[in-house]
Amino acid sequence: MAGTTLWKGYVHFGDTDVPVRLRASVREERTQFHLLHKRDGARLRQQMVCAYEKKPVPGKEQTKGFELEEGKYLLIDPEEIEQTAPESSRMIEVHEFVKTGQVDSLLLDRLYYLEPDLADIRGPEFNALVKALEELHVAGICTWTMRKRSYLGALQVRGKTLRLSTLRYADELILPTSLNLQKVPLSDKELKIGMELLEKLTAPFAPEKFQNEHQEKLREMIAKKARGEKILILPPRRLEPTESDQLLQALEASLRKAA
Amino acid sequence: MPVQGIWSGTISFSLVAIPVRLVKAIEPGRVSFRLLHSKDYSPLSRRMLCPKEESMVPEDEIVRGFEIAPDQYIQLTDEELESVSPERSRTIEITEFIDREEVDPIYYDHPYYLVPSKGGEKAYHLLAEVMRRTNKAGLAKFVLAEREHLVALTSRDGALVLTTLHYHQDILPEEETPLKKGKVPPEERSRIKKSIEQRMKDFDPGKYANDRRKKLVELLAKKVKENAPVTAPVTGEAEGEGPADLVAALEESMRKLKENR
Repeated sequence: MAGTTLWKGYVHFGDTDVPVRLRASVREERTQFHLLHKRDGARLRQQMVCAYEKKPVPGKEQTKGFELEEGKYLLIDPEEIEQTAPESSRMIEVHEFVKTGQVDSLLLDRLYYLEPDLADIRGPEFNALVKALEELHVAGICTWTMRKRSYLGALQVRGKTLRLSTLRYADELILPTSLNLQKVPLSDKELKIGMELLEKLTAPFAPEKFQNEHQEKLREMIAKKARGEKILILPPRRLEPTESDQLLQALEASLRKAA
Repeated sequence: MPVQGIWSGTISFSLVAIPVRLVKAIEPGRVSFRLLHSKDYSPLSRRMLCPKEESMVPEDEIVRGFEIAPDQYIQLTDEELESVSPERSRTIEITEFIDREEVDPIYYDHPYYLVPSKGGEKAYHLLAEVMRRTNKAGLAKFVLAEREHLVALTSRDGALVLTTLHYHQDILPEEETPLKKGKVPPEERSRIKKSIEQRMKDFDPGKYANDRRKKLVELLAKKVKENAPVTAPVTGEAEGEGPADLVAALEESMRKLKENR
């Protein structure tokens, strides 16, 4: 089943407007758990509790605060927060075009399909945009508002499909340099054998062969338990780390195994 | 800044095993507010309430349940849940490597970093370096918070990035419309191309800021001049104390619930 339209609007730049519809590209289903009270099996309800009185607090006695320092809050009227929400608009405004290779994959967040809005399309502008983005190998960097939130995004073509990825803001990305990784000297031999091993273990990317087996097994376990059968407890597998002075040997043995 | 670990375990490829920790790669830049009790300005905590006993339930009395029929649940313990895929809950086993360019970004879900645990530094560095030189990614499956993820390990500036991937079965098909096969008149094509070329720049993501956050910070700056902050009563318990993982799990399920609507 194809997804439904999430949003409708126009891709805009210069004197070009392209009517589009936004559709989800992914749909995930997962086993949903509820929290129960162990003793009586009752399904638990979430409740906001006053940390001081230790009593449930009804909605009308709740307010919002910004913590300035420990235990000190600046009170904010929820309505004032609401007022900072962006104004709604129907426009995906393209600010600039960049080479597709310049869009850092770590910034890519959610991906949507952009389909032509057939109810509103007037001419060949949709196809012209797709063709142009494809031939020039560029992405359009754009902003838009959807469901009271503003988004930064990249408009790209893959295959013949127009896609819109939301982008994370640059300052949300933690840089690898902040991880303080230390360089460990590696011998040429270790690198050479390592690369050979990777080549040996390389296969074409075939995403369709990976299934969510865990989900299946989880459902089986639930069914088993529902029938009153006993569940066997298995400890997680833990591997013994390869010692640094054993690394070369482990690589050589791996290579022999892969050959 | 100390990096918080989300998970710890071992990466393996063939006969090499590397002890690692999983850490965040993304820090959402949200301005966050705290819910307060309007009567005494005490912060509010999220607690679980048993409707039968009308009492707050401590963490050790909470168990996960799967609804098999309306109001009928099968309880599962943490040990049972961990037994579902014991081989994957503490091990990221790279079963194959692929050429990085082959991965369509439509599969990307969420990125993390892996950092080496004590003793794993050398093998970690080797894997990062050989993946960089060969421009390859390692594919693996592992279980994080009861979900089995297909993941791609890649190398970046000496660090290993772990990106969770969407399963192929969860990718929705593209829509085929007759319009997409339509021809484009040459003059329209060159007009759009020209318009794009005039707007070509080098990408500098840093220049785009979150407007909402800017506005919220401005609002707070204004408020702090106008009003004195309120002081919460001392409760004797650490602030925000409570079942942290439980709250995260709840928020996650609430979010899912909203999205599915």
